[in-house]
Amino acid sequence: MAHLAHYREAHPLPFVITHWINLVAMILLIISGFNIHFPFWAAFEGIARGIHMFFAFVLVLNCIVRVILSFFVKSAPTGGTRRTDTDIKSWLPQTDNRHQAGAWVKYYLFLKKDHPLSAKLGVPQKLSYLLIPPLILIMAYTGLCLWGPTMNAPPFAAGLNLVGGAMMMRIIHYFLMYVFICFMFIHVYLANVEGTAPTKLMFFRREHGGLVYDPDKHAIIGEDELDEKH
Amino acid sequence: MEREAIVSEFYEKLDSRGVTRRDFMKLCGAVAAAAGIAHITATDVAYALEQSVIGAKEGNLYPVIWMEGASCTGCTESFAQIETPDPATVVLELISLNYSETLGAGAGWSFEEAREQTIAAGNYIFIYEGAVLEKWEGQALRVANEPGIEHVTHTAAKANAVVALGSCAVNGGWMAAYPNPAGAIGVQQCLKKHGIETPVVNVPGCPANPEWLEAVLVDVLFLQQLPDLNAEGKPSLLFTQTIHDNCQRRGHFENGEFVYQFGTREEALGYCLYPLGCRGPQTKANCGITRWNNRRSWCVESGGPCIGCTTANPANSNENWVETNTPFLKRHRDLRVGDFRLSPTTIALSVTGLLAAALVIHGFGMKITGRMNGGADFEKVRKWDKRHPDRSIGCYDLSDEECAALEAEAGVAAPAKPVGRTTAAKTGTGTATKTGTTGTTGTRTRAKTAGQDGADAAKKADEESKGGKA
Ligand code: HEM
Ligand code: HEM
Ligand code: SF4
Ligand code: SF4
Repeated sequence: MAHLAHYREAHPLPFVITHWINLVAMILLIISGFNIHFPFWAAFEGIARGIHMFFAFVLVLNCIVRVILSFFVKSAPTGGTRRTDTDIKSWLPQTDNRHQAGAWVKYYLFLKKDHPLSAKLGVPQKLSYLLIPPLILIMAYTGLCLWGPTMNAPPFAAGLNLVGGAMMMRIIHYFLMYVFICFMFIHVYLANVEGTAPTKLMFFRREHGGLVYDPDKHAIIGEDELDEKH
Repeated sequence: MEREAIVSEFYEKLDSRGVTRRDFMKLCGAVAAAAGIAHITATDVAYALEQSVIGAKEGNLYPVIWMEGASCTGCTESFAQIETPDPATVVLELISLNYSETLGAGAGWSFEEAREQTIAAGNYIFIYEGAVLEKWEGQALRVANEPGIEHVTHTAAKANAVVALGSCAVNGGWMAAYPNPAGAIGVQQCLKKHGIETPVVNVPGCPANPEWLEAVLVDVLFLQQLPDLNAEGKPSLLFTQTIHDNCQRRGHFENGEFVYQFGTREEALGYCLYPLGCRGPQTKANCGITRWNNRRSWCVESGGPCIGCTTANPANSNENWVETNTPFLKRHRDLRVGDFRLSPTTIALSVTGLLAAALVIHGFGMKITGRMNGGADFEKVRKWDKRHPDRSIGCYDLSDEECAALEAEAGVAAPAKPVGRTTAAKTGTGTATKTGTTGTTGTRTRAKTAGQDGADAAKKADEESKGGKA
C-alpha cells in the first residue's frame, strides 16, 4: 500500500459541503446549459433557463464562500496527517511541493517510476484548482453579458463590444463550459485512478489508513493502519 | 386667427393627395409610435408637422441628400414599397429630397449641381445608404469626377447629421463579409478616420425598416433634435431591446414549444423558431413592434427565423451581421480556422474527445504500471533534495523514536510497523536538517548540521530504491 492515510482533517466539513454544492450546481448548469444551447428536451427549456440562472448565482456565491472560508478554516496541509493549518496555505506554494513540479509531470508521463512526495495538493492539482475560481468568475461575466436584465449595463456592454458581440460571447461561454467539462474529466480521473479512497473522503468523510506524513519534516514517518482498528 | 389659415392651407395640401384630416391624425399617431417617443402624442406630431411645413419661419422644407454607397438599393426599395397615405410617404414628401439617385427625377450634371448647391447652403440631413469602400484609394463609386470616399466626407462635413441607413452603412454589412475584397466599412468609421465630427445616427437592418428612418426624421425635422442614441449610436428606443423581448412567439419559447424542422406540424402551429437558429435572443431591434410592410407582418411572424440583420457594430466592420450569423439556421456562427469553417461544437467536441481518449490511454498506462491500487510507491527522497543535500527540503533520516513522537503529536496512532520510512533513516547516519514550518512544531527545532551526512544518506537511498526497482 503506497498511499498516504486519508484523514478528515484534509477536507473539513465546510469544504465537503462547498464541494458538494459545487458538484450539484455544476452538473445542473451543464445540463441546463446544453439545453439552452439547443433544446433537445423541449419541455425542459423554460425550466432550464430558470435553473441555469439560479445555479449560476449559487455557484458564484459558493465559490466566494469557499475562498473566504479558506482564510478562517483550518485543514491539514498535507495528506497523511491530522495536524492542521489555515486552509489558504494549502492553496499557496508549500515547502512540500518545492521543486516537485517536474517530478509530477514526469510521474504522469510514466517517465518517473515512484510517486512524488507532495503537499495535500500536488503541483498540477493545485494549479488546476486555483484556476477554478477565476474560471467561475469569467463564466459568470460572460453569462451576464447574455442575460437580458444585465446585457445592456455598461460593464457587460463593454465586454460584448470587446469580443465582437453577443454571438461571440455565447461561443466563449459555450467553450468555457467545455473547459469545465475537461477539468472535470481530468479531476475525476486523477481523483479516482489510484483508488476511490480520496473520493470517499471528499464526499462521505470516510477515513482510510495509509502512510503517515509529517508536514514539518516533509517526509513520511510511518504508517497508520486505520482500517484494521475500525 | 393666422394659425387657422395656415392649418387649413395644410389640410388642403393633404386633401389634394387624398388624405383626410382623420387619416392624417391617424398617421400622426403612427409616426409618434414609430418614433417610439412615449411622451409625444399624435397631436404633438400633427402640430409639429403643420409648423414645419408651412409655419416654419424660413418657409422651406428640410433639405435632404440621400446618397447610394456600395449598396443593393434595398433600403430605398423598402422605403419606396410603402403605400399611401402613410407616415413614410408623408414624411418623405415633407422633406425636400434634393438629391437621391434612385428616387430623384434629375440626372447628370444638373443633378450633381443640385447637390453642390444644397451642400453650400448647409443646414441639411445626409442619408447615406450602403457601405463605404476603402480599397483602390477610395476610387470605387467614382461619380461626377469625385472618388466615392470623397463624396461621403465632403457631403457629411457640412451636414447637420448623417443617417447611416441600413447595416451596410452602419458597418459594411454583407459588403464587409469575409474576405471583404473592397475594404467595406461603415460611415461612422469613415468619418472618424477623416476627422469629421458630424453626428451619425446608425439605423441598421438589411434592409432598414422605413419606419425607423421615419422615426429619426420626425425627431430631426420636427423636434429639432437627434433621437437619444445608445452606445452604438443607434436610436435607443428602437435598438436596445432584443427581438426575443418583443416576439409574439415568445409564449411558445417559454412553454418549450419549438419548430425543429420546416414543414412540420409544429411549424403550422406557429411554435418558436429557436432550434432553427432564430437570432432573436441576441439581436437588438424592435421588429416585433414596428413590423414590416405597412405593419402587415415581420420575419418571425411570417415563419422565418430572425437572421439578425440589424447586428452591426459601427466601430468594427468584422462584427457585421453576415459574419456574425451564418449559417443562419444553426444556433452558432461558424468559426474560421485558416480556410476552413468549423462550427464551435465540432471544435469543442474534438478537443474534449481527444482529452477523453488521452485519459483512457493514460488509464491503461496506470494499469500496466500497477498504479491503480494506491499509486506507485513513494519516492524515498525528493530528487531535488538528492542533488542539493545541503538545502534538502525533507528530513529523511529520523529515528523510529522521533517518528513515533511526531506521530503521537499529530494525533495519529503510533505505527504498527515503521514502514514507508526511508532506509536512510534506518542507517542512522544523518541528522535532521530542517526547522519546523508550522507553529505547532516550533519547539522541535534542531540544529542544522553537516549536509554531507544527508547527502550520503540520500545517495544511498537513491541507489537502494533504484536497485529495488530494477
Ligand atoms: C456562473 C455563472 C453563469 C451565468 C450567469 C450564466 C448565464 C447564462 C446565460 C444568461 C445564458 C444564455 C441564455 C440565453 O441566451 O437565453 C447561458 C447559456 C449557456 N450557459 Fe451559462 N451561465 C453561467 C455558468 C455556466 C456554466 C458553469 C456552464 C457550464 C459549465 C454554462 C453553460 C452554458 C451553456 C452551454 C449555454 C448555452 C450557450 C449557447 O447558446 O451555446 N453556464 N448561460
Ligand atoms: C464526480 C465528481 C467529482 C469527484 C469524484 C471529485 C473528487 C474530488 C476529490 C477526491 C477532491 C480532493 C482532492 C484532494 O485533496 O486530493 C476534490 C477536490 C476538489 N474538487 Fe472535486 N470532485 C468532483 C467534482 C468536482 C467539480 C465538478 C468541481 C468544480 C468544477 C470540483 C472542484 C474541486 C476543487 C476546487 C477541489 C479542491 C478542494 C476543495 O475545494 O476543498 N470537483 N474533488
Ligand atoms: S421565434 Fe426567435 S425571437 Fe421569437 S421567441 Fe423564438 S427565439 Fe425568441
Ligand atoms: S426580425 Fe431579425 S432578420 Fe428580420 S428584420 Fe428584424 S432583425 Fe432583421
